[in-house]
Amino acid sequence: MSTGRYVRDLLGGRRPRRFRADAAQAAELRAAITLAAARPEAGEPRAEFVEDLHRRLSEQAQQSASASAPTPSAARAPVPIRLGPTRRRVLWAGSVAAGAAAIGATADHLISSHAEPEEQTEAAGQVPTLEPNVGTWQTVAETSDLDVGGVRRFDLGSVVGFVSRDAAGLRAVSGICTHQGCRLNLDPGNRELDCPCHNTSFAVDGTLVRHQLYTPPPPLPHLQVREQDGRIDIYVPV
Amino acid sequence: MDGNGDHSAEPRYPDWESVYRDNVTRVYRMLYGKVGNRADAEDLTAEVFVAALGPLRLDASAPEVRAYLFTTARTVLAGHWRRTLGLQVTVLDGADERWLVDAGPEPAPPSTAPQRTATILAALPEPHRRILQLRFLDACSLREAAAALGITVGYAKVLQHRALKRAAALGEAGA
Repeated sequence: MSTGRYVRDLLGGRRPRRFRADAAQAAELRAAITLAAARPEAGEPRAEFVEDLHRRLSEQAQQSASASAPTPSAARAPVPIRLGPTRRRVLWAGSVAAGAAAIGATADHLISSHAEPEEQTEAAGQVPTLEPNVGTWQTVAETSDLDVGGVRRFDLGSVVGFVSRDAAGLRAVSGICTHQGCRLNLDPGNRELDCPCHNTSFAVDGTLVRHQLYTPPPPLPHLQVREQDGRIDIYVPV
Repeated sequence: MDGNGDHSAEPRYPDWESVYRDNVTRVYRMLYGKVGNRADAEDLTAEVFVAALGPLRLDASAPEVRAYLFTTARTVLAGHWRRTLGLQVTVLDGADERWLVDAGPEPAPPSTAPQRTATILAALPEPHRRILQLRFLDACSLREAAAALGITVGYAKVLQHRALKRAAALGEAGA
């Protein structure tokens, strides 16, 4: 039984093996994980892990500092590779992401499809970015309208969505639920996008936060966004 | 204006190493609370920092940087569950965000898992509470737990399964 094996792995301090779980199994595993995480020694990272990750990040910072200048269409994504039977490592491949400032630098203008965590951690194509055959940049806000932590809805006719800013820069996502196409409402307090139809919620980065559906709906598509001359623009179909 | 605040007076990190040193334990604890094992927690913590540090703007305040780390962690955790079990077993929610973003100086506080566990255990009948306490918190083997409870190993296994099911129901009901 997959749930029993998963719990045995948790209790044995092993990495649990993957399987396709249903909602009832997920609830059981949720309880098991909560219990396992409450052990007194849990949650203390190994010193070796902390130092090893620091070393890897230092190498990444040096590579970024010596990389060539960003190009608007370039994208950089880490490629997960196995180093041994159980440990996963993430390495950079490709060129510097558009608008992703080298570590330590300040970017005056971040142009995104900017270094989305989803794009950096999932295989390419898992979270699509809208790329119309023929498009145009349309202004949706002034720079001064959107501070760090802010979220704004926009409606450009062919495309509705939400643009937000965080410590990494700007991002924009579709404002249409990927389940059955209802228009999402902004919950500014939680920085979440709520579907009025089926109790589904997404984070402002497009990640699914909660749902009641049998099959989880996919994350929200990203939209290309740029900031220049004090304006925030979205790339939409002509 | 949606959710915009004035963080001009907030402290800032001088460099990425400060961001890392100040937050690696917090992020690890937060993720450990959502996956319950060291191997996955280490992998996901590494993923968060690899993904977040590249595009991070150091002109952002410390709470804004932590909010960005939280957003990245939420995305990383969602991807982990998609890959491994096909649905979202645990999520990072507003309480986790407040725990990370509003945290004071080191040492990092314990994750929210102990409080949630205490709530669940307190709502269970005695035999269920005891078997889960012995197996999960006291790290007893099935044989040791059975001996402590005065039952057979086979029944201890059944009892643990029933107790987990009941704990799951309590968790879903928001116990």
